[in-house]
Amino acid sequence: MLTLVPIANRLLSALPPAQYQCLELHLDIVHLSFGEVLYEVDAPIVYAYFPNDSLISLLTQVDDHRALEVGMVGAEGMLGATLALGGQLSPVRALVQGAGTAMRLKATVFQREFKRGLSMQRSTLLYANALMSQIAQTAACNRFHDLEARLARWLLMTRDRVGSNHFYLTQDFLSAMLGVRRVGVSNAANALKVRHVIDYSRGNIEIVDGVGLEALACSCYSKVEDRLEHNNVSLCSASNIDI
Amino acid sequence: MMSLIHASQNRLLASLPQTDLDRLMPYFERVNLELGQVIYEAGCKLSYVYFPANCIISILYMLEDGATAEVAVVGFEGILGISLFMGGETTTTRAVVQSAGYAFRVPASKIKTEFSRGGPVMRLLLRYTQALMTQMTQTAVCNRHHSIEQQLCRWLLLSLDRLATNTLCMTQDLIANMLGVRRGGVTEAAGKLQRAGVIRYVRGRIDVLDRPALEERVCECYFVVKVEFKRLLAEIPPGDPYQVLGVSRPERRDSNPANVQSMATQAKFA
Repeated sequence: MLTLVPIANRLLSALPPAQYQCLELHLDIVHLSFGEVLYEVDAPIVYAYFPNDSLISLLTQVDDHRALEVGMVGAEGMLGATLALGGQLSPVRALVQGAGTAMRLKATVFQREFKRGLSMQRSTLLYANALMSQIAQTAACNRFHDLEARLARWLLMTRDRVGSNHFYLTQDFLSAMLGVRRVGVSNAANALKVRHVIDYSRGNIEIVDGVGLEALACSCYSKVEDRLEHNNVSLCSASNIDI
Repeated sequence: MMSLIHASQNRLLASLPQTDLDRLMPYFERVNLELGQVIYEAGCKLSYVYFPANCIISILYMLEDGATAEVAVVGFEGILGISLFMGGETTTTRAVVQSAGYAFRVPASKIKTEFSRGGPVMRLLLRYTQALMTQMTQTAVCNRHHSIEQQLCRWLLLSLDRLATNTLCMTQDLIANMLGVRRGGVTEAAGKLQRAGVIRYVRGRIDVLDRPALEERVCECYFVVKVEFKRLLAEIPPGDPYQVLGVSRPERRDSNPANVQSMATQAKFA
């Protein structure tokens, strides 16, 4: 039953009670497993997902094989923000990067509720705007920052969203996320290991010194986190408008 | 006050039903924009949105150390300042004029009011936002995986599509800033295109001599963005955004003779 599971997703929990109740009937709790593909590029979006403790990567691919993560969706957001913009097809591939639960909503229901509810509109558009900033930042970060700093940022962002210092990730996976060859990932991970900020073996990553890792991460880390914080504040004020 | 003929120079405005356009019309102001002019700084409060007519505006992301990279371009097909109606008061990017010309601007409060009516204006602006997001996503991946030459070709083609001529007024320094690469890298890539007879580059002026050759050299990113915008615009016949935006037309609009008439008027500046 739904009521037994705390709604950790912040977009949902910021909705006014009346609007949340309208949605509740249509929300399913689903378990997402690591590596599961939720959206393919240009395929119709059937469900929107609101992660609780799961983490989803948004990937773009070029030249049939080279990928890059352009955004990350956790409890602060939703997968399927495209629906709010009137799109029906996914512009990205969505891959589960951290296993956990999410609240799932049919795309058609989402679009109907979006049209009806002012606070739903406010919060999802605010989130879509933050996601665009994340994409813009990724574009600039990829251009200027070196791999080690990007890997450090990526590990910290993952930690913050899964709420654990320990997670499982293969080098192939990391190479797609960061848009570099496997050997590059391997070198960067080793460099972090030598500095004793992470421990890494056979896909098991452990952050042993978070403060040290933050010092090595590019400036984009604190910027993204600041913005999310700001967004949450705005969300809370947005949720009060039509109570 | 701006005339309808002028408004139609911007494709988004040209796509709006007459009644919606009429409400906005008194607040439009035509502004001339100079090459290199900064329209927004990152972190500043936005006072206006801009609908470009014949200019191009570059959206740049600036890192803490001041390094910039272009994440999108906006021309006559779009609107600058989407953060305003998306709910953010400020923007995280900087907007710089990349090709001089003019645009129509509307005060923030007016566009917000219009957006919150939830009608064609809102749907059209959101749909544009979707296309812009695709452009940003593609730029991110292009920055990572493609050569400077390919990126320069993409940049030139995206600009040409938004201009009436084959000539761009642009220094190599500005291009380097847009692409977020060193000037030397731009010089080398531009030199290669010049030797191949694709462009001619003389002191701040680039003439594209062979567009098909540019299209052969460019990476797929250009086409992905182009297809997305084509889909956006082709799906929106002037005066009738309902059809495209995947929404059924509200019945009362159909049955209102005044609306039917306004649709017909719109068709004139298709």
